[in-house]
Amino acid sequence: MGLPVGTVLYRIFRSCKSCGRSRAAEGTKRFQGDVLQEEFQFASSYCLSSYYSVFVVRVAIMALLAILIGMLTILTWHITKVYTAKSLNSLAYGLRYELLQRPLLRMWSLLNSTVEITTAQVKLSEYVIRRYTSQPITRAQQVELYDVMRDVTWALFASHKALNAITVNYKNGFVQAFHRDHRSNGTFYIYSDLVNYSISNSYEMNTISSHQRWNDQSVQGNLSAIWYRVPLDPVSGEKIGKRQTIPPDDLINIAGPSQVPDGVASWHVAVSKFTDSPFLSAALPVWDRSNTSIVAVVGATTALFSVGQLMKELVEFHRGHIYLTSQEGYLLMTSTNAPLLRNSTAGPKLVMAVESEDNVIREGAQWLQRAYPNKFPPSHEVHVENARLGNKRCYIDSFFLNLKRLPMVGVIIIPREYLMGKVDERALKTLIILISASVCILFIGCVCILILTNGVSKEMKLRAELISQLEARRRAEASSNYKSQFLANMSHELRTPMAAVIGLLDILLCDDCLTNEQYGTVTQIRKCSTALLRLLNNILDLSKVESGKLVLEEAEFDLGRELEGLMDMFSAQCINHNLETILDLSDDMPKLVRGDSSRVVQIFANLISNSIKFTTSGHIVLRGWCNKSNVHSGMGRTLHNQKECTSANAPKSKEQAAIANITRRKDNKMAFWFEVDDTGCGIDPSKWESVFESFEQADPSTSRTHGGTGLGLCIVRTLVNKMGGDIKVIKKNGPGTLIQLHLLLSPSMKGDAEQQRQHSLTQFSHNSLVVILALSGSVGRSILSQWLYEKGVSTWQVADWNELIHILDPLFQVRSSFEKDTIDDHQSASELLSKKASRVGIGISVFIVVVDVVLLDLTTSIWKEQLKCLGKYCGRAKFAWILNHNTSNSVKMELRRNGHLLMMNRPLYKTKVVQILEAAIKEKDNLEEQKVGASPSAGVHQHECIEINSFHYDGESSDDSDGAERCRFEKKKRNRTRKPTISQFTVVNNLAKFTEEYLQNNQHDTRAAKCSSSHDRGVSTETELACKNSRCGEEYETGSCPEERNDMYLSQGKGQRSLEGLRILLAEDTPVLQRVAAIMLEKMGAIVIVVGDGLQAVNALNFCKNAEVSRAASPLISEIASHPQISDASSFDLVLMDCQMPKMDGYEATKVIRKAELGTGSHIPIVALTAHAMSSDEAKCLEVGMDAYLTKPIDCKLMVSTILSLTRRMSQFSFATASMKS
Amino acid sequence: MDGGVGLLQRQLVDYRASLFNEGILNEQFNQLQSLQDESNPDFVVEVVSLFFEDSVRLLNELAKSLDQRNVDFKKVDAHVHQLKGSSSSIGAQRVQNACIAFRSCCEEKNVEGCLKCLQQVTKEYYLVKNKLEILLKLEQQILAAGGSIPVQSEVI
Repeated sequence: MGLPVGTVLYRIFRSCKSCGRSRAAEGTKRFQGDVLQEEFQFASSYCLSSYYSVFVVRVAIMALLAILIGMLTILTWHITKVYTAKSLNSLAYGLRYELLQRPLLRMWSLLNSTVEITTAQVKLSEYVIRRYTSQPITRAQQVELYDVMRDVTWALFASHKALNAITVNYKNGFVQAFHRDHRSNGTFYIYSDLVNYSISNSYEMNTISSHQRWNDQSVQGNLSAIWYRVPLDPVSGEKIGKRQTIPPDDLINIAGPSQVPDGVASWHVAVSKFTDSPFLSAALPVWDRSNTSIVAVVGATTALFSVGQLMKELVEFHRGHIYLTSQEGYLLMTSTNAPLLRNSTAGPKLVMAVESEDNVIREGAQWLQRAYPNKFPPSHEVHVENARLGNKRCYIDSFFLNLKRLPMVGVIIIPREYLMGKVDERALKTLIILISASVCILFIGCVCILILTNGVSKEMKLRAELISQLEARRRAEASSNYKSQFLANMSHELRTPMAAVIGLLDILLCDDCLTNEQYGTVTQIRKCSTALLRLLNNILDLSKVESGKLVLEEAEFDLGRELEGLMDMFSAQCINHNLETILDLSDDMPKLVRGDSSRVVQIFANLISNSIKFTTSGHIVLRGWCNKSNVHSGMGRTLHNQKECTSANAPKSKEQAAIANITRRKDNKMAFWFEVDDTGCGIDPSKWESVFESFEQADPSTSRTHGGTGLGLCIVRTLVNKMGGDIKVIKKNGPGTLIQLHLLLSPSMKGDAEQQRQHSLTQFSHNSLVVILALSGSVGRSILSQWLYEKGVSTWQVADWNELIHILDPLFQVRSSFEKDTIDDHQSASELLSKKASRVGIGISVFIVVVDVVLLDLTTSIWKEQLKCLGKYCGRAKFAWILNHNTSNSVKMELRRNGHLLMMNRPLYKTKVVQILEAAIKEKDNLEEQKVGASPSAGVHQHECIEINSFHYDGESSDDSDGAERCRFEKKKRNRTRKPTISQFTVVNNLAKFTEEYLQNNQHDTRAAKCSSSHDRGVSTETELACKNSRCGEEYETGSCPEERNDMYLSQGKGQRSLEGLRILLAEDTPVLQRVAAIMLEKMGAIVIVVGDGLQAVNALNFCKNAEVSRAASPLISEIASHPQISDASSFDLVLMDCQMPKMDGYEATKVIRKAELGTGSHIPIVALTAHAMSSDEAKCLEVGMDAYLTKPIDCKLMVSTILSLTRRMSQFSFATASMKS
Repeated sequence: MDGGVGLLQRQLVDYRASLFNEGILNEQFNQLQSLQDESNPDFVVEVVSLFFEDSVRLLNELAKSLDQRNVDFKKVDAHVHQLKGSSSSIGAQRVQNACIAFRSCCEEKNVEGCLKCLQQVTKEYYLVKNKLEILLKLEQQILAAGGSIPVQSEVI
């Protein structure tokens, strides 16, 4: 048990040590800040308590184990040892008893036989003597008697071999004795000389006084008689030797009358000097006939030697020592060879047991004497199991043999080793084995427990750590979530003041009383505010995404058009840099896709503005292609591929194919690939990943030189990831950055538009067009050229004015000479040129020259000459001019005067080229028509000016306008909250157009009619509108600068009641808001009907409908209507619906209204009014069927624009239907 | 007389500026005033008095609702929302802000906080009421004196 205690102690010691260590660690950590401290203390105290508990559990388990094993050991040992010992002991007892009993029994039988012989001798002697003494004894008779006696005695003696001697001592002193000498193995007859005995006398005398005389005579006789010894044949009893004289009493002990003093049998142990063992001699008197006197004494002597022999045999077999003593302690027999007699001066004497020469016997006797000094237990029986003799442990047993004359004590000494030696040894071994085994088990058990509890404690520790970490993480997440949520919730609070600032600045800007300087300052403030708002929006967007509130919309939009609009906007921005912005979308991209257009636009807006920020000169290319098939038919792609030398391309296309495969499997989504390629300062390759992190800029110093927060790319990546795409910076040859991304968008099912475009494109190749691209930007030019070439349109590329002239000159010479059937060789500028010219010259129909206005030398007045120079080609070629945004009005006027009516703003992308081509083809057709019809309005046609609007308000033909319009509107709606800059521009832009149209519808009707009269009716409305625009554009510049337009709108909107004639139902419960909104709307010229809750709103609408129906039946009934305003209203144009109202809230009301509309096919626009500004609310509003969404407090402008956009669509719709009818 | 009007006008401008500076009113009030013209000469007064009536009613309702044992937070929230809407419409910014705090208390279902917020809202309401009444009185005085109400030139 020492080992477990040791381990426990060790454990305690160790725990103390670890405690100290942890405390020390605590001490060091204390310096590391207060925040950690608390947590750590918590953790450490937890740890400590758990440690203690673990420790206690360990100790308890170990103690239990120890007790268990101990008990088992003891029990086992006890059972094995004690039972064995007990049974062995009883066995041993039996053995010892038996061992001792046998010599005793022998002794007893020896005694008995001696006594029997003696008795038999006595009886025989009595018989013989009585026969001879019945008559007076004569000498002869006497001799005869003695002879008979001798024969009788011999017979007895011979029959009992064990007898040592048999003696007959007659009254008269005559002695007859037979003796066996064991040493010489001879048998002798010993007798005394008869001469000295007077038989008669003595006999007679003896009869009178027996006792005295007997004694005297015997003494006398003994002294005086001569003893003879005759050796006999031991079998036959014949004399075999001569008689020898021997000294009396010398040889054997002759029992005389002295030994039978009282006439009864006596026993005693005798010694003789001839034998080394004592004798047992018995003596019996022979009485005469009258039984009054003793006539002879018969003695028999038996050697105890045989008993000793038996003892020896026993001991030889069983080991140990046996001895017999007389009661006084004289040794009678031993199992050893130690002498029993001691020669003293007085002859041999018996040895006391305590003085025996044998060590064991001596020690045993001494031990017994010590243990029982005086009083032997009754009957002398002693059983001692554990007597220590010398250095041995022995069993000592003594038995008492109670003979009347000769009490004897038998003692047996058996070494314990003999009986129990093996058992003791085994017991010891078992004990040792048991203890060692138990110790081992205990040790192993302790180790196991240690390991086990170690694991448990480790697990507990880990678990505690895990719990605390989970807690910490939960807290951190919660706090981060709170932050994001807070920011998201703050959106309204943050945006409202900014919107107010901007709005007020707008108001200020339209004030006439501002001086120029003030105007400039305010404009600057406005710009700054817009920038600040954009920044705010960025941050809020980010937080919205982080808080998981950003929900991507799923609406159909024209991806190409959105991107074109974006490029238009940015090209206006980067006009000051010497920068070329190019849009290169491959033709295989589906026109209409489903997705969140505003977010897509935001992605590219951020990327492009980023590129613009870091690019001072060169170009920015936005490439787009689609992974429908692995063959990139986009011309930009092929160009790019050539440039990249296919090194990086192979894995890339593989990757793209993989993505495409994945995406194709997913619900019909396609991967759209885009690249934004600029020639700016570039990004260090090590920063390619980190630029997409929040607040991260490639070079920290750039924020000083370029500004920006570094949020843009982060938002981009978040959005791209959200759309299931990926964005990364890619290695690029040459300076600049190449960012590649792909988005997963589902293409719209409507493939009509695309087909149409394809159709129109194929049409060009039929018409065998020739296009001369006189553009300053080389990249854009080559891209366009490539594309046109693929479409089957021949192109020339021209970089500057002189080149243009050089090409134009020979070309038209060729052409004219071709017409005249003469060929001028020297005029062809180059072989290629001439080849091309000859190729295209045949069947050539249309020449289109696209001229960049910057090719003109605008710094001096040479440009006018240049224009005139071009004038001579005017009839033969169609000129299209690419204007800068800041191209001055005089240039435009001049161009127009020179008959260059096809003008468009930078940048030139495919849609615009297609428009140019279409216009050219149309013109050609017209010309042909005119040639055929010789129409008188040809002159008017010459003056038609086509300016393709940079915002290409109605890019497509009118049959598509409805869808496009919705698209546009939806975008606007979203833009309103998210991207005020763009949205305001577009909204305002649209608004301007709405108002224009209104104006023109009302005022310039005649002009429009005049204008359009010259066209055939097939010309789409957009050309009409463009025409109108351009007319109006003489008063104010159209579409070049958004800000201008904005101002224009404001100046226009101020004096005008833009909502004139609209009937609006306002459902609002708060009286204050009711009043404010009503007044606002009324000021704009709308007719407002106010109701207090959703139920009333629904009722009012129903009533209107009924009224309408009833009026249709009979106009008179309508007069019954209670509300004068309602009564004369056919129906409402729009509903402004507060979301939270008593009785029936806005959502409910909208649902009811939409439900009611289901069958009728009508759709009344409903605009939500809500104090919430989250997109989730917006989503909810749109979900229940509202069309738009306004936040409180109401922003007047926003409200007007929203209302207009909604009602305008409706009116357009109704207008369209009306015109259809007419 | 002219001097008196001028004085009043300056006083009005100053007073209004102070209201804006203290954050009692915000630009929404300006919008409100800009809506007032010949067709609606008493528009501001009308709206403001509407606001007062409505607010008093709402405040009473709120007090009643919060007094009950089991407070119906939904109802309270709706009332506060209304009050917030109307106060934001006239530009009573501090009332509006108090309402925002009130609503967050409401969302937590914290009765004590709500009561505290109600007090705050009431306080702000009476403050804005007093200020607006003075402002309107000033304007009326100016109008009575034959002057014109100066347009707000300084907004922030």
